[in-house]
Amino acid sequence: MEVAKDPKTRDGRRTSPVVYDRACLEEVCGSCAMRVNGVARMACTALIDSLAQPVKLEPLAKFPVVRDLSVDRSSMFESLKRVKAWVPIDGTYDLGPGPRMAESERAYAYELSKCITCGNCLEVCPQVNDRSSFMGAAPISQVALFNRHPTGRMLAAERLDALMGEGGLDECGNAQNCVRACPKSIPLTTSIAEMFRATTAHGFRKLFGS
Amino acid sequence: MSRPYETREHDVLVVGAGGAGLRAAIEALARGASVGVVCKSLLGKAHTVMAEGGIAAAMANVDPADDWRAHFRDTMRGGKFLNNWRMAQIHAQEAPDRVRELEQWGALFDRTADGDILQRAFGGHTFKRLCHVGDRTGLEMIRTLQDRGVQMGFHVYMECAVTKLLTDGDRVCGAVGYWREQGRFVVFRAKSVVLATGGIGKAWKITSNSWEYTGDGMALAFDAGAELVDMEFVQFHPTGMVWPPGVQGLLVTEAVRGEGGVLRNRLGERFMERYDPEKLDLSTRDVVARAIYTEVREGRGTEHGGAFLDISQKPAEYVKRKLPSMYHQFLELADVDITKGPMEVGPTCHYMMGGVRVDAETAETSVPGLYAAGEVAAGLHGANRLGGNSLSDLLVFGRRAGLAAAERAGRTGPGAFDERQIDEATAEMLAFFERPDGESPYAVHRDLTETMQSLVGIFRNRDDLESGLAKIREFRDRWDRIRVEGSRLFNPGWHLARDLKAMLTVSEAVARSALRREESRGAHSRTDFARSDPTWGKKNIVVKRVGGAMELSERPVPEPPPDLKTILEAP
Repeated sequence: MEVAKDPKTRDGRRTSPVVYDRACLEEVCGSCAMRVNGVARMACTALIDSLAQPVKLEPLAKFPVVRDLSVDRSSMFESLKRVKAWVPIDGTYDLGPGPRMAESERAYAYELSKCITCGNCLEVCPQVNDRSSFMGAAPISQVALFNRHPTGRMLAAERLDALMGEGGLDECGNAQNCVRACPKSIPLTTSIAEMFRATTAHGFRKLFGS
Repeated sequence: MSRPYETREHDVLVVGAGGAGLRAAIEALARGASVGVVCKSLLGKAHTVMAEGGIAAAMANVDPADDWRAHFRDTMRGGKFLNNWRMAQIHAQEAPDRVRELEQWGALFDRTADGDILQRAFGGHTFKRLCHVGDRTGLEMIRTLQDRGVQMGFHVYMECAVTKLLTDGDRVCGAVGYWREQGRFVVFRAKSVVLATGGIGKAWKITSNSWEYTGDGMALAFDAGAELVDMEFVQFHPTGMVWPPGVQGLLVTEAVRGEGGVLRNRLGERFMERYDPEKLDLSTRDVVARAIYTEVREGRGTEHGGAFLDISQKPAEYVKRKLPSMYHQFLELADVDITKGPMEVGPTCHYMMGGVRVDAETAETSVPGLYAAGEVAAGLHGANRLGGNSLSDLLVFGRRAGLAAAERAGRTGPGAFDERQIDEATAEMLAFFERPDGESPYAVHRDLTETMQSLVGIFRNRDDLESGLAKIREFRDRWDRIRVEGSRLFNPGWHLARDLKAMLTVSEAVARSALRREESRGAHSRTDFARSDPTWGKKNIVVKRVGGAMELSERPVPEPPPDLKTILEAP
């Protein structure tokens, strides 16, 4: 931020400040994902002292670059729409308290709900590339979240269908980079495994009737 | 000469995509309106995600004695009775429904043993009242609202900033903005406009607020002729990080104290015993912030100029479970394990109680067709906000604003505006590039934040406020000379130059209101008028643009009806 106040090029000419997305600076909003010394991570928690100098900053490579370090991650929202990542309820009238959940069940679901759509899991996934339409770990884990919600479950079959379609689970290559890159430590690979089981069962049900 | 621009048309335009904006959009959509949401950053990244402690709602899940009356009374007492009583009443009555609704939509609140929503204690609340999701309530709230909005199909215009409201006679009928990415102009035509742009923290040097908090909505409303109120009341949260410098101001949630954290000075004294022997660490925010500030000023502060906040007496597992992000935040950013040792904390500019004056029922401003909800609006919190009351504010009044805006859109036609308004707005934006040489927007901003911090901060007096105002006027002259380098393509310097205009307007309103109120009340502390004055306790200060200039007036605080008075007088 100090650099932004009077940015200069290498040969000392004044220029416009470097563009990057950021909002919270405390790793909850998910805006500032970029490659820092080649590693995909949130820039806000990358402390300069602990990095090799000079620090090299690059935009995420799996998304279209808007400018400098800012990328367009709208594809992630499109994936959320594809897997219907919401609890289906009509209107906004008062329905009374929501469904009850056991604390242990809620606590696990909350781990999944911490996703900040930063895009790091897609960035590190070898299967997410120009030649594939793989949606990546984030939306798959959101299916695991909503399919365990007592009301969200109503769309479970449709979500599993979406995961079984193009760009879905089939394209996961099990590299397991996603779970290591996630800044919120979401058990992404556990979600993926769970969804493999669920889609397999769903596939059989569809084939033979339930 | 008309510059090229694109046009978008909606029934309702919502400016801001935090809790209030999203809730307003959802409600307007549910009423069948076509809704556009404009936000400066990306969807789901609004400042609300940073809210930690919880949503205050008298659900009585933990303390069965709680009810809306007690919540209403706490809110009014916290606000030193300068609140709009009707807003406080509606808020207390409707907050539980809004929480249940979020739960229906999939928000994963912490649970009691019986499976109900768990509630925690917070400063100024008589009962355990804050519905929470660990210490990341805001994130869960935004995720839920965002998923809901995506399902309902709202149009979100991301990375777009509004610079001016368009008017047709006295009503608002749209807005002019620009895409931050390409720098091109866009005109939104709308039958009603909801402002949900949040606060003004970025005008201070030490703040917990995100970069988006530049007072945009307050300045837009002011420019369109709407009234602002209570602008002297700026909340300094008592506990922000003070070390290391890069994270100075970052919030340390009040939930740390709600869960049993204790404040001590360098000598190990539990100093809150001296400032509020009854409520101690859970006194209201204004009191705790001044206590820490005073301890530091009198030489009993920590090495880096703060106080110690200690929760390490609680079991480590408990701390990690109830305050996971505080644990993470201190470990990652300050190399402190809060389960083993104390945190260093100090006051940070956190919340604006003042803002656009609105009608309690509809959230409509004094300008027809313009609505405001959330931090940009004023009235609910009076002279000081209680923790947890802002998230419930966003939900209760966000919904009401969306409802009224959609209702209005159903009975009015699109207004007609004079194209010259657009020309003026675009010319103002382009002028930054046309000056041969001039001020850097960053330098003006830095000087403004230093002035607001030192002269319009926690403790105020006439001399400071007068010299602060003189400086703000200087900054305004410098703003006229700002030159921006580069092009309109995603240019942060250009964006800041625009945001600065709003910050200067709002800063002036804050400083002038603070100078006018010659007493100390809630978050407003005058060292030259250290006591509360009962005559001032019956007046709000209203700020309005009259013939191009800012004018202040005093307005009597509306009296609550007898039945509510009885509630307020209860012990």
